[in-house]
Amino acid sequence: MSKQKPFPEYRRKLGPGWWLHNSHFTQYMIREWTSFFVAVFSLIYIYELSLFASGGKDSALALMRNPGIIAFNVLALLFTLYHAFTWFYLIGKVQPIKMGKTMSKPWQALLVNIAFLLIISYAVIQILVLR
Amino acid sequence: MPKVARLHAILWGVFSMGGFIAAFLLPVLIYLVGIAYPLGLWPIASGDPTSSILNHHHIGTLFLFVTVAGSLYHGIFRFQSTLTEIGLAPAKRALEAIGYLIIIVGILAVAYYLSLLPGVLSLP
Repeated sequence: MSKQKPFPEYRRKLGPGWWLHNSHFTQYMIREWTSFFVAVFSLIYIYELSLFASGGKDSALALMRNPGIIAFNVLALLFTLYHAFTWFYLIGKVQPIKMGKTMSKPWQALLVNIAFLLIISYAVIQILVLR
Repeated sequence: MPKVARLHAILWGVFSMGGFIAAFLLPVLIYLVGIAYPLGLWPIASGDPTSSILNHHHIGTLFLFVTVAGSLYHGIFRFQSTLTEIGLAPAKRALEAIGYLIIIVGILAVAYYLSLLPGVLSLP
């Protein structure tokens, strides 16, 4: 059987700014761009670990104190939290839990997971930094 | 299930796990090493957080490896996919190849550097 389609396929051509014309698409694209900050922070930190490992601890600490790096880290934290909150909301949408006769709502999953995020963050600080 | 589809499912599964790691563990790491330490905010009183975390050997090294490797995988995997949505779709294969290369080299580098520092991966 021939795989040739009986009619030409129409593919709408999208320009690079297609996501700016609809607020849902803009929100989606901001979510996608959080990955840039997650990836770049990870790469910068791997570089800092390489300096630590090769005896260049002072250089690593000086890099952490660089104003440009601090500004980037503030942005990275904001975008990572945006990723986290939208991810938590998505969990509630994709996997609602049955609670008696009703199903859980996405905002309930968001609140529960924010509570988990705070508990985990505090545990990390308490166990790995303060102890 | 065809082999390619199975591999695809595994890669997306790891991506999803990386998403959880980036959501639950990355914010506190960014805050500690990137904001609290240079600006002298709570809970950093003295010393740098990376050394404090590594002083807790096994669990500290494990925390750093899981957080950095998982976040790197998630970030790069998603970012190369994002680039195809803003006009770079013709270069999809090349972007995937570069992305996986960065992921593999990055994860190996984290494991290697942590093995040189005190912790769970350290050799006796």
